[in-house]
Amino acid sequence: MSELNMAVIKPEEVISHVTASYRCSFSSHVLIVECFVLEEGWGRVLEMMKSYIWIETADGSLQQVEQEVAMFCPFICHEVIQKGMGSSKNHAISLPQRVNPAMLSLMLDYCRFHQVPGHSNKERKSFDEKFIRMDTKRLCELTSAADSLQLKPLVDLTSRALARIIEGKTPEEIREIFHLPDDLTEEEKLEPLKNITDDPRIRLLNRLYAKKRKELKERERIKNVEAEEERVDDRSVDDLLSFINGEDSKGIKTSKNRKKNRRKKDQLKNTSPSEVIEINEQESNGLKGSDLGETSEKQDVTDEMFASKPEFDDGDVDDEIDPALKEKIDREVEDFARRLNSDWPERMQEILSLGQDMKALHHSSNGNGTIRKYTDPEQK
Amino acid sequence: MKHREPPKLPCKIETEQDKLSNLPAHVIDQILSQLPVKDAVRTSILSRKWRYKWATIPHLVFDNLCISVSSQDQILVRNKLVNVVDHVLLLHNGPIFKFKLSHQDLLGVTDIDRWILHISRSSIKEFVLEIWKGQRYKVPSSLFCCRELIHLELFNCLLKPPTTFKGFRNLKSLDLQHITLAQNVFEKLISSCPMLERLTLMNFDGFSHLNIDAPNLQFFDIGGVFDDVSFENTFNLALVSIGLYVNVKKDQTLVLGSSSKLLRFFVHLPHIRRLEIQSYFLKYLAIGNVPSRLPRPCADLNYLSVRINFNDPKESLAALCLLRSCPNLQELEMLARPEETCTGTLTDFWIGDHWSSMFPQLRVVKIAGISGIRSELDFINFLLSNSPVLERVTVKPVSVDGGWDLMKELLRFRRASTRAEVIYSDP
Repeated sequence: MSELNMAVIKPEEVISHVTASYRCSFSSHVLIVECFVLEEGWGRVLEMMKSYIWIETADGSLQQVEQEVAMFCPFICHEVIQKGMGSSKNHAISLPQRVNPAMLSLMLDYCRFHQVPGHSNKERKSFDEKFIRMDTKRLCELTSAADSLQLKPLVDLTSRALARIIEGKTPEEIREIFHLPDDLTEEEKLEPLKNITDDPRIRLLNRLYAKKRKELKERERIKNVEAEEERVDDRSVDDLLSFINGEDSKGIKTSKNRKKNRRKKDQLKNTSPSEVIEINEQESNGLKGSDLGETSEKQDVTDEMFASKPEFDDGDVDDEIDPALKEKIDREVEDFARRLNSDWPERMQEILSLGQDMKALHHSSNGNGTIRKYTDPEQK
Repeated sequence: MKHREPPKLPCKIETEQDKLSNLPAHVIDQILSQLPVKDAVRTSILSRKWRYKWATIPHLVFDNLCISVSSQDQILVRNKLVNVVDHVLLLHNGPIFKFKLSHQDLLGVTDIDRWILHISRSSIKEFVLEIWKGQRYKVPSSLFCCRELIHLELFNCLLKPPTTFKGFRNLKSLDLQHITLAQNVFEKLISSCPMLERLTLMNFDGFSHLNIDAPNLQFFDIGGVFDDVSFENTFNLALVSIGLYVNVKKDQTLVLGSSSKLLRFFVHLPHIRRLEIQSYFLKYLAIGNVPSRLPRPCADLNYLSVRINFNDPKESLAALCLLRSCPNLQELEMLARPEETCTGTLTDFWIGDHWSSMFPQLRVVKIAGISGIRSELDFINFLLSNSPVLERVTVKPVSVDGGWDLMKELLRFRRASTRAEVIYSDP
């Protein structure tokens, strides 16, 4: 027993020691082993007789496993050497919870193959390739089990396989394969997209998201008790995108104004009426022209393109719109400013009426429509 | 399509089925590290749990695969790349152990300075930077503050460390290609990295004397233009591959007197196992008085590859000296240098019986690029008749001309080994 406390022990020696010490609780194998030990030397033990150790999985089931195979796992090796476990049913090595019997048998297959030194690298590779062909659920379980037994080569193998599965797939596909819940809230999904491809559609989409986000904030602020009216938008993603693509230039036009007014927009409380109107104008233009779409639509669009964590507020960044488009926008902005200044009273009416229609969307409790919404209560 | 989906309540079935999200963090890091950065970052919208899982991956690789651009406009592409790297670095949360930046559209920009500064603050262990276009990129001084560096790989850079630079005390592997650094900088770099085990130098300028003082060095691979090479304290050096890309100057062979470069070269390489002498390096080794054999045989040398001009007497002498000094040689490769104008033919060099049983362990031989001249054939004959355990000789001429005559000659040669195969390989 004391010999087990030695710092460096070869597995063959352990077997011999263990068998020698626990002779009482072992089967008749032990006696045969002892004879061999005495007569033919330690190294021969392994060749002559396989010895087994007891392993207990989390569900309570016990099994015997060839020692040399099981010792390939650092966890089991540690248990046997440092703590002297595994010699009998009562002293079975209890495995961590993440290892169930099915996984254990898979891992033992792996160990059984790889612990034999005679295989070439090619053979090992082809074994590995065949070995990891299993459904993704089992692959995940196997990764977990291998990690808890500290079997690093197997963890490397399975994690590489999982990475290969994830690579190149859309988020929807990945969610489906791994049964991930789709539980990000609408707000979280509305984080601006990383505009890696410099797609003008994404830029505009980010702007729409920003708008929608702001709207959501407003909604929180006002906090209507009545239930919101659900608006169902039946338009498909393509419709939405075709709008954005520029048939209706109004959406694009707003960009320049938006940039100028961005800072002010954020401090809505202190806006003066004229600015409010202008902002509102943009809002209503945007709103009039398009519906801000539905979460699920956005989600589809999001999923289609690159999506990632919040990066930047698109409006604040210099947009690298190509010069032709930029000119077009500038021209339209000027036009619009002129029209705005001349048509002011009519515009007001329009806005007010628009406000009534859009009541459902904004669910403003004020009867007057949108203007009131942006007014700071303190200013009243 | 619903207008607004409330967040789904996690139902039991789904959480039971979702085995992936609950793997331990280091395992998920390992999985995500093996994805291209693009895919790894995209996992942030998979589900609530996955929002920030990508932010702790310890390996960041930005190369041609990670940015897919459809635009042809250089500046646009570059700005995109800069954008992406900026955002990923900013959102990343945790130590970065490996960083690789290698994009074909990248020019030497001040952005890289900024990124290196950011990375130098996070105990980086492996750093790879490849500048594909433009001038040599001057590496900022913040790189030299990375104390934990284990592997450093630079392509097309200029190194000028600050005077306070004390070396990378953990650096084990150094790979510098197409770089510029001053002579003293080079020496200081090598000698101040005590753990250095692998050194690769290709196409360098700014220094021409290679004094390698590295006690732990095991692998040395160099190809470029230099004046001399010497080792100091390199008793662990086992794999050496040296290529001198230009011919040694004519005057060097005369002026440098009688000290043999060959001797000097091998003095500090007692345990060398694999040696490749490429391009004109044999010419360099042949400078000085070439001894008939080395004072101490290279007992561990089991693979030798030499690029030689069979017509040059000095080179042949050097090669012979080498071949006599490695009794345990198992694999030999002799490559004929093609462009050399024949200064005269060397005859009768390899003929003679006084060098019998020279290759007791030689099993595999490869001879390539030969044109069938006398000295080459003599050499093959010499090999065949002195290698008792030879198993395979592959001969590959440089062109089909004279191939038939070559084969006829090869047929005649006597073989010391009954198992020797002589394989003629088509050019």
